[in-house]
Amino acid sequence: MKKQKYWYKLDNAGKIFPAVSQDENSNVFRLSFYLDETVDSTILEEAVNRVLPRFETFAVQLKNGLFWNYFASNTHHFEVEPELSQVCKYFKSHTNQGYMFKVYYFENKVTLETFHAISDGSGAMHFLKSIVYNYYKLRGFKIDHEGKILSEKPYSKKESEDNFVSNYDKSKRKNLQEEKAYHFSGERFSNHWTLMLKAKVDTKSLLNLVKTKYQCTVTQFVTALLGYSFFKEALDFTQGKKPFKIFIPVNLRPYFDSITLRNFSLYIKATYDQKRTDWTFENMLEITKEQFKDQLDKDKLQSRISSLVGFEKNVLLRVLPLVLKTIAFKIGYRILGESISSCSISNLGVVELPSGLESRILDTDFVNAGYGIALTLISMKNHTNIIMSTPLKDLSIINHMIQFLVKEGLDVTLDTNYKEGYDEIL
Amino acid sequence: MKYCKTCHVHYDTTLEHCLLCNGELERENEQIETYKFAEIEKKKRSRFFHRLFIFLNIVSVLISFYIDYTDGLPLSWSLVVSITNLYAVMMFILLTVPTIWTSKLTKSIIVTVGMVILIGLAIRDHQWALDYVLPFAVMLNIFLITILIIVNKKKWFDYFSSLIIITIIGLVPGLLNLLRLTIVTWPSVACFSYALVTLLGIFFLPSKSSREEFRRRFHI
Repeated sequence: MKKQKYWYKLDNAGKIFPAVSQDENSNVFRLSFYLDETVDSTILEEAVNRVLPRFETFAVQLKNGLFWNYFASNTHHFEVEPELSQVCKYFKSHTNQGYMFKVYYFENKVTLETFHAISDGSGAMHFLKSIVYNYYKLRGFKIDHEGKILSEKPYSKKESEDNFVSNYDKSKRKNLQEEKAYHFSGERFSNHWTLMLKAKVDTKSLLNLVKTKYQCTVTQFVTALLGYSFFKEALDFTQGKKPFKIFIPVNLRPYFDSITLRNFSLYIKATYDQKRTDWTFENMLEITKEQFKDQLDKDKLQSRISSLVGFEKNVLLRVLPLVLKTIAFKIGYRILGESISSCSISNLGVVELPSGLESRILDTDFVNAGYGIALTLISMKNHTNIIMSTPLKDLSIINHMIQFLVKEGLDVTLDTNYKEGYDEIL
Repeated sequence: MKYCKTCHVHYDTTLEHCLLCNGELERENEQIETYKFAEIEKKKRSRFFHRLFIFLNIVSVLISFYIDYTDGLPLSWSLVVSITNLYAVMMFILLTVPTIWTSKLTKSIIVTVGMVILIGLAIRDHQWALDYVLPFAVMLNIFLITILIIVNKKKWFDYFSSLIIITIIGLVPGLLNLLRLTIVTWPSVACFSYALVTLLGIFFLPSKSSREEFRRRFHI
């Protein structure tokens, strides 16, 4: 049985986020479902509050301890809100009944924005599916969950486990060193606004292209394409001293037999040398494939987990009061945090829904906001959404990527949160 | 749906021009597109008055120091003005940052007592602040939070941090007394005793929930 009162230590990935998050760097990601009807906000709120006690790792509030932050149970009534114009907007939990996620509604869209300290994309997707499933149940529809909706299954303690700690092996620790990466800079939109451009393509055509023509996975293809677009469009890249590095979060659950809803992903990276001037898409893809193969190894992943957890087990760090740790994290993140990656790609895969629910959900969004370009992929039904978000006004790299997809014969449909006239405001 | 004949992409949004080439979009079929996001707000809440308030206080400090300095050293009244300006800014920040009100109350009392002691030092008569204001203010704060915890037992862990901080501060008057920095003894001793009893009560009360709260707050 589930406990009424509980508390957790923050997991390894989540420990730094409360200290370093701010308007420019929210560490919030978005998942949306477009329904076949206009959302009733009262029913949506009821659905969230019905589901919330089942999701122990979401029903929490952030508290300050003397040495570390921790999560304590949160039983406040959750309130849904109309969607904001700003995607992945930073929010303070004490203005949100202590919760570290937001549920927004806009016409037929339900949006879940989650602060990365509590969960990653996989965990949040389970939560959103359960909210929408219960929304339809409250609307009076009878939908068989087919074992795909977590709120309808019994609670397992494993959902709340910190699998970074449970997979820590002291003997496998090694020294992690990262060199700085090239950063794409330019004029930003004002008020921390992020432009989002969704390119919808047919999944079958995309798979056909990557499997037959390039013999790679979709993530490898998109990673190489992003790298190649930077090489072609960012003119200062080859003149600089830093390599181009794309960070790709890997869902660790399949590797370590985990069902946790808390953070359990680790970045692998694709690195492209700035000194090379003979880059082609094909040779970038070959290097990408090699790098993926090399890094997606269970032993190597565990070694990195152990190194990261080993860092937080350092006695000096542990006894440092939280106030000083926060300052140290802020300084460390400013020096190292963003500078070690150029941009990120996150592939959430196919959204699996019960057939009764799938027919009612028209589309889905997965958005990560970050510096440079944050690219995400998510598939539903027969289409894949490649979503690019950027705080920068320069769209040349995104343009190159879209043109490449079109030239490869894909039928691309674009959607965006940009509107004519926004230039005057932003 | 619309179409850009230059970029060869379809558009499922209300744009009239292609985002990539700025070319005019052609209507492809009768399917009406919608804008699927919330409209951007034109006006952002201005923090101008916040900044102006802080700026005016800094100006006040600088002008006071300058006028007082031109009258010759040592500085006299300008220190009191500056401390008051600093107090106004700190209280303004304290009250505008959203947090639970017990935390605001405790912080306000600490800042106010600090300000009173500084003014005492500035006018070279700080005994009244150390002998009476500090111990009584701290005792009042401990008392208020204790009452709050007794009345609202369910939320006691929300008040826990404030209680711990203020009881530890409550030990300070006793220390000052030991160091002979206070003249009147009984308020300091009363404050020290009250804080010590409260602190011991927190540590040794045989409550499962308080032990659990300690584990959370002090986990390393």
